[in-house]
Amino acid sequence: MSTPVLEVRNLKAHFFTRRGVIPAVDDVSFEVREGETLGIVGESGSGKTVTQLSYLRLLPEPPLRILGGQAILEGHHDLLQLSPKKMRAIRGHKISMIFQEPMTSLNPYLTIGTQLCEPLQVHLRMDRKQATKEAIAAMERVGLADAEAALKRYPHEFSGGMRQRAMIAMALTTRPRLLIADEPTTALDVTVQAQILKLLKDIQKETGMAIVFITHDLGVVASVADKVAVMYAGHVMERGSVDQIFYETQNPYTHALLQSTPRIDLSQGKLPAIGGTPPDLSRLGAGCPFVDRCVHHRDACSRVLPELKWFPPDHESLCHLEGLPV
Amino acid sequence: MIESPIARIRDLSVEYRLRTGFLGLKPTQTVKAVSQVSFDLRKGEILGLVGESGCGKSSLGKAIIRLIEPTGGHIEINGLDFLGLSGRQLRAHRSAVQMVFQDPYASLDPRMTVHDILAEPLHAHGKRSRKEISDKIHQTMNLVGLPTRHLRRYPHEFSGGQRQRVAIARALILDPLVVIADEPVSSLDVSVQAQILNLMRDIQRELQISMIFISHNLAVVKYLADRIAVMYLGKIVELGTRDQLFANPLHPYTQALLSAVPIPDPQKERARSHIALKGELPSPVNPPTGCAFHTRCPLVFDRCKAESPVLAGNGPSTVEAPARTVSCFAVKP
Repeated sequence: MSTPVLEVRNLKAHFFTRRGVIPAVDDVSFEVREGETLGIVGESGSGKTVTQLSYLRLLPEPPLRILGGQAILEGHHDLLQLSPKKMRAIRGHKISMIFQEPMTSLNPYLTIGTQLCEPLQVHLRMDRKQATKEAIAAMERVGLADAEAALKRYPHEFSGGMRQRAMIAMALTTRPRLLIADEPTTALDVTVQAQILKLLKDIQKETGMAIVFITHDLGVVASVADKVAVMYAGHVMERGSVDQIFYETQNPYTHALLQSTPRIDLSQGKLPAIGGTPPDLSRLGAGCPFVDRCVHHRDACSRVLPELKWFPPDHESLCHLEGLPV
Repeated sequence: MIESPIARIRDLSVEYRLRTGFLGLKPTQTVKAVSQVSFDLRKGEILGLVGESGCGKSSLGKAIIRLIEPTGGHIEINGLDFLGLSGRQLRAHRSAVQMVFQDPYASLDPRMTVHDILAEPLHAHGKRSRKEISDKIHQTMNLVGLPTRHLRRYPHEFSGGQRQRVAIARALILDPLVVIADEPVSSLDVSVQAQILNLMRDIQRELQISMIFISHNLAVVKYLADRIAVMYLGKIVELGTRDQLFANPLHPYTQALLSAVPIPDPQKERARSHIALKGELPSPVNPPTGCAFHTRCPLVFDRCKAESPVLAGNGPSTVEAPARTVSCFAVKP
């Protein structure tokens, strides 16, 4: 098998605040290969975004401290060991990121064109003319009509869908090997979401880039992901192929999440809601983070953090149970 | 089951005036957020109102409760001309229609305790005795599944789901005939969302309240609603029972909308074909001529560009065969 584009191993990153230690990322491992999409699912506060931002070194340290682990890019660089200068050369070049709200991640004072050309001028040392040519090509690739005129416009002149297209164009100009997409369609309407998801899939087919796709929407995961990691309270609760996660679910949290989701393709009786609320990370006990809300919990669950159970060949679940009771 | 409707909405319109140009000196433009919408809300039903952002679903909800004044049309609540009311009369009848908002962080006063939040509408609507008020508050807290020991707490001491329970309690405390819920679960996580959806379903069944449930999330609407109205650019384009609409969507926009909703089932997703809509939502300041959907419609023909279709049904509504209506020249109900 090819080397993974990114392999994160046992990443541990905690916030050290005046109110105490918040274990936002605790022993998180995943990998993503060329042409593959890894979906990271979880509710707000589960650590899906912080995980990515921590190995990209985009969070202020302190309060964040990386306590251990590795994040290996293309088999050789460990991102956690690189100097800030080397990291800057990788971000926006080999690794690009797109965010949920393009309005807050685009600079309102600069034209779309200036913002699209910047990574090309910085990372690929193009002059403005060359960069503009590339930028026009990138805009056309993401389906923005009249690309040349669009480059002269400001972000506020675009609709939400167009802004997200411009963001994607910007992320892709340097032909990154890895794209981190953090809830890129959450702020969009479903019909626009469908367009953007299709666009990302098409570009991936063409360029072979790997995608880490963060979302809370299980429908979106089913539609885009090859592999899935389910996160809860800073832990990866379950990891496997998209079919394993949906059809051979091993973890009670994943199962509960799937069951409590309203869907348009089934007629559902009363939704089996998950009781309670996600835990306060600064007050996590020694046991499983899901213990208070788990219908299968036993004595050991509140005392001991379970180990990852392996279901060959490539399916893992963080749970004391031997698989999910039927 | 079908008696006279609890709310009758006829040709309701909402227009916003836009000031344009430097200091708003250019002539004003109007945006038709809701354009001559008519429907009935039956007693004890949940009517889902779906559509994408800017379709006018929230404006319609707020106009029915008169949080924004409609610019035209009629609203009849329980046989009473609701738009004709003013002053003291309006105040006396306003308790009949209550609203639950999307963001419980913004819609609850951070400086009031839960007790005060719930007592305020009772005071405003003239329930007198202290005991009466206290009993009603306790009863409503039980109804929404909040322990009464939380009455002295402030909104920030609650989680998002609990806050939404407080907001629901506030809407129910005056025993309204109609509740309008505007995206009440959209800011909640899936695991908490299911709790609130179940709560709303249980309460609605227990109290036989009539509800208009506004959401952009079709799966959520499918779970709760008995009938569903689909809106596009200020108009209802299709209205039918939940089963009619999901099993056999007629309007090309409804079809596109349903096909765009991702299904949490990878095999089904792989097998699905999505109807891709052309282009972007037109500006409501300058809506297209004829059918508002014609610029993106796969079935468009000449007539659609010139004439505006009306919501037409397949005959009178009965219990066995509830009417379904659709606004399109290319399809018939």
